[in-house]
Amino acid sequence: MMPELSTLVNVVFVVLFAPLLDGIERKVKARLQTRQGPPVLQSWYDLIKLLKRPSVEPSGSFGWLFRLAPAVALSSVLLASTFVPSLLARSMGFWGDLIAFVYLLALASLFLALGGFASCNPYAQIGSHREISLLMAEEFSLAFIVAGLAVSAGGLAFSAMFPLPLKASSVVGVLAFAVMVYVSGARVPFDVAEAEPEIVEGPLIEFSGRSLGLMKLTAYVRRLLLFTVLLNFVIPFGGVLRSSVYVAALLVLSAVYAAFEAYFGRFRTADAVRFLKRFAAAGFVCWLLAVLGW
Amino acid sequence: MGRSTLEGRFRVIDVSPDEVAEVVRELFEDGCYYATGMGVDERPLNGRFAVYHAINCPKRGVYVILRLTAPENRPSVPSITPVLRGAEWAEREAHDMVGVTFENHPNLERLILPEDWPDGVYPLRKDFPYNRKMAGTEGTAGVRGERHDEATMSVPLGPYHPLLHEPEYFELYVREDRIVGADYRGFHVHRGMEKLAESRMTLNQIPFLAERICGICGCTHSAAYCQAVEEAAGVEVPERALYIRSLMLEVERIHSHLLWFGVACHLLGFDSGFMHFWRAREYVMDIAELITGNRKTYGINLVGGVRRDLSGEKIQKTLKLLELAEGESREVIDNVVGMKELIARMEGVGVLRRKDAREIGVVGPVARASGIDTDVRRDHPYAAYGDLDFKVPVYRGCDVLSRFLVRVDETFESFSLVRQILENLPDGEIINEEYSLPYMEFGLGSTEAPRGEDVHMVLTGGENQVYRWHPRAPTYNNLPAVPLMLEGEDVADAPIIIASIDPCFSCTDHVSIVDAGSGRVLWRGPLLEGVERLRR
Repeated sequence: MMPELSTLVNVVFVVLFAPLLDGIERKVKARLQTRQGPPVLQSWYDLIKLLKRPSVEPSGSFGWLFRLAPAVALSSVLLASTFVPSLLARSMGFWGDLIAFVYLLALASLFLALGGFASCNPYAQIGSHREISLLMAEEFSLAFIVAGLAVSAGGLAFSAMFPLPLKASSVVGVLAFAVMVYVSGARVPFDVAEAEPEIVEGPLIEFSGRSLGLMKLTAYVRRLLLFTVLLNFVIPFGGVLRSSVYVAALLVLSAVYAAFEAYFGRFRTADAVRFLKRFAAAGFVCWLLAVLGW
Repeated sequence: MGRSTLEGRFRVIDVSPDEVAEVVRELFEDGCYYATGMGVDERPLNGRFAVYHAINCPKRGVYVILRLTAPENRPSVPSITPVLRGAEWAEREAHDMVGVTFENHPNLERLILPEDWPDGVYPLRKDFPYNRKMAGTEGTAGVRGERHDEATMSVPLGPYHPLLHEPEYFELYVREDRIVGADYRGFHVHRGMEKLAESRMTLNQIPFLAERICGICGCTHSAAYCQAVEEAAGVEVPERALYIRSLMLEVERIHSHLLWFGVACHLLGFDSGFMHFWRAREYVMDIAELITGNRKTYGINLVGGVRRDLSGEKIQKTLKLLELAEGESREVIDNVVGMKELIARMEGVGVLRRKDAREIGVVGPVARASGIDTDVRRDHPYAAYGDLDFKVPVYRGCDVLSRFLVRVDETFESFSLVRQILENLPDGEIINEEYSLPYMEFGLGSTEAPRGEDVHMVLTGGENQVYRWHPRAPTYNNLPAVPLMLEGEDVADAPIIIASIDPCFSCTDHVSIVDAGSGRVLWRGPLLEGVERLRR
């Protein structure tokens, strides 16, 4: 298949499947809370409804930034989805690297926070402030993990990293990365930036209609891409069954992560940041092992 | 001191304006606290206005009612707020509603009436018709706050916020992530219940109105009202009726506490706990439905007794449901108490020191978590509580965790109480309707609601009516403590701190009449202010 076509297939798959994955997670959580839960397509229904509605701009906001933020956030995650191999392994002649991926995701977070600041709502200010604090702490841990994995794989390019060689450093690195996938997905207890009962969805509070829909889609795609990178580290590359193994593994991962979410209460921002700083130690171990050649 | 009447539960004492401050100080030093106060327009009787201060003396098992009067042409009495700050709101309320002025009150601003309400119009005076509509005047509302500077952000919490299930307004002054100050603004949803009851309802309609003061703890209000009238009229209530009242009050407490645990979990981001608590609570709702026919708003109390009897079969079913409810509640609570991050978010947060707690006069679990050993059920036994055996949990942590733990212990005491009641239910009638209503007799009824002491004062009107009815819900006494609890805390903790008093705003707001248009004026100003960073 032509690389352009497989890229297109991958992007379409990511956009279509990400809200579905969220629907499945909602179902899993509902079951754990002895609730019936909404249908698995609910997140899609919500998105369709939102995308059909106009956005309202709060008076006193920085209009252009507020309008721009959702578009930039979604574009950055979609751009990332063009070079991360998802449903089809071969994707775009250009082989991206982990740094580009991490920074595109950070760009999406940054624009979520900027959109919040631009709305001038005090809850959004607090939420954006929290988003940024968390982002910085995440980067700190991630830096060590990415460096460790790169040394272990012998390069930052996806072609070198997918899959990782079986070494002690890669095992530690993948486990640490799995935790970061959880944190970056803004899941309880790390959902401090949006904490509905505290600050009413934080940066998202003033977004509505289409722009809220784009922000939500960004969040779903982001979670799916994080899972995808994690799976690519371990799925043996290029096998015939790869696509089906990948989708099955996605469903399992998503159910496991949703189940974890049902067993936690929310951190305070300071506690979340403290946890992430301590967690950087795991990244450091990974890097040390890799440097030692294990 | 002048005339004094001796009753079992309360003692009304006429005091002169010169000695009231001294009397209040002595009572406070003796361990009493300010329960509630009401202004009464007694002009049709004696041409004077009266103020009744109800002071709870738990150690002596009596309420001391201090009655002050002032002539029509000079309705002014000395304020007792400088001596006992718990009286602040009650005096402001009497000033708003009846037009009595309190000399030397530190802050005699409007509390309840909207700020565009015309001056000199007092809705609870007897010459103010209940159906009169007022045109608003130019309001001066909305401009508040002196704490604003460059680094401080004002964060509006309310009047609509997912934490608050009713419209209330807290304004938090935030520097970085710390709360440096907080203001409370309430009384947006006034329903004018007192006026309604006094003007156009009969004696036995009011229990149903009283029950609607609160959607969570309504039974406790109708019970307190009935007790107040029973005290005033000297009605003998059959023993079986008293047991059934206690039964429903305890069922209500269990449901209310389980509901609160759920909400607390939700606020701390632990939604699974929320759902599981509410699942366990469903059994309690089934019990209520089985006994009264209603899941909530039981409609069971009347003056003189209760409306529904309990068969042996129902008792058996109730016991079964109770076992399920208790087992599941125990399981969920044990899980929650084992979650370190939840406990860490409650420990040492929202501290209310014992001294402040006593001066403000906080009640119920909030008081018991600050080391104050008080419980109306034990100190002023009513319904069947004199015959029942229960412990009053007291914690000294003064924080949110202590309030949580007090409620945990209370829930399981209540399970035991329900069992005791069902096992020892006496036979006999369930209502006594042979009584006559005296004219201008004072009565006070108090209950321990899930949120604390609930006090109703009644002046009978004869002819099947009440002359004056003043309900005071526990949240009224607990709310003034919230700004103290908030200061210096993390913004993230504001919701759980506010929720830790288990606030019931509609209970607090029962009293007043607000013009819908002007209600907006109250909060719109600060809300807009809060939207932008405040600059001087």
